[in-house]
Amino acid sequence: MANSQIEAGAPINLQELYPSSPFYKEAVSLRVTGTLKGYSIETAIGVIEDGDKSLRIDTQHLRDVSFRVGSIYQFIGELHIDPNNEAILQPRTGRNVDGIDMNLYRKTIELLRKFLEVEDNRNMVE
Amino acid sequence: MDRALLNTHAKLVARDIHRLTQSPTEANSFILGGHACISRVETVGTIVSRDMTPKFLKFGVDDGTGCVTCLLWLNQLTSSYFSRFDPSTVLLLASTARKQAAEIRIGAVARVRGRVGSYRGAMQISATVVVVERDPNAEILHWLECVRLGRSCFRIKSQIS
Repeated sequence: MANSQIEAGAPINLQELYPSSPFYKEAVSLRVTGTLKGYSIETAIGVIEDGDKSLRIDTQHLRDVSFRVGSIYQFIGELHIDPNNEAILQPRTGRNVDGIDMNLYRKTIELLRKFLEVEDNRNMVE
Repeated sequence: MDRALLNTHAKLVARDIHRLTQSPTEANSFILGGHACISRVETVGTIVSRDMTPKFLKFGVDDGTGCVTCLLWLNQLTSSYFSRFDPSTVLLLASTARKQAAEIRIGAVARVRGRVGSYRGAMQISATVVVVERDPNAEILHWLECVRLGRSCFRIKSQIS
């Protein structure tokens, strides 16, 4: 059952990635979305941005994705915190999501989180 | 036990699929939210693993709330189960399954419909239809539908706005 060992990437906004955040931890599985602001072919490291927050993405394992600066990408992978306390995502999957409604995306992940929390509380009561 | 949803593909997030419990009264059926009896589910998520065998394609779907293992059977031409069907139907089923399998690649977003079951203690979906989604908003819309159905249909109304 290889799949049962794969952790789901929790969908987050880049604004939620700051050092004291519960998501800002070594090896935590995340799903991040943002506009590609820069990409280095030599290092295979890209930078995505959403609002005033950015995140480095190490794309060396993503062979089937072509990167275009200015397009929106979504990645699922594990966060790595380097010795300087800077985060970089090491994605397992990546895809171009040009056309995504980012406002709806942000609101929906918040709504989904609340829904799951309420359901958790209900289950505890029952 | 409410059997109204028994033959419907219930739209669920992975977290809720993993929380289904075996029905004490209905074979191959599961209890959702303490009262609804279901046997089929529909989910949408990103394909994060892919393992091809001669009989089936096993793939993992991550929808942000969990990962669900899905099986797409590819043994229509060799399994005795299909010998009762018309040969042209079996050929069509086999061809459709092969086409769907070719579309299933890591990183794609797929809508999976199928029978839900338990294998070695983990829930999995035996897929009947797998559609790769082109709309970048497909997962968002699925999440919204799951929340709406979760509040209005599958469970007692939650008190969140």
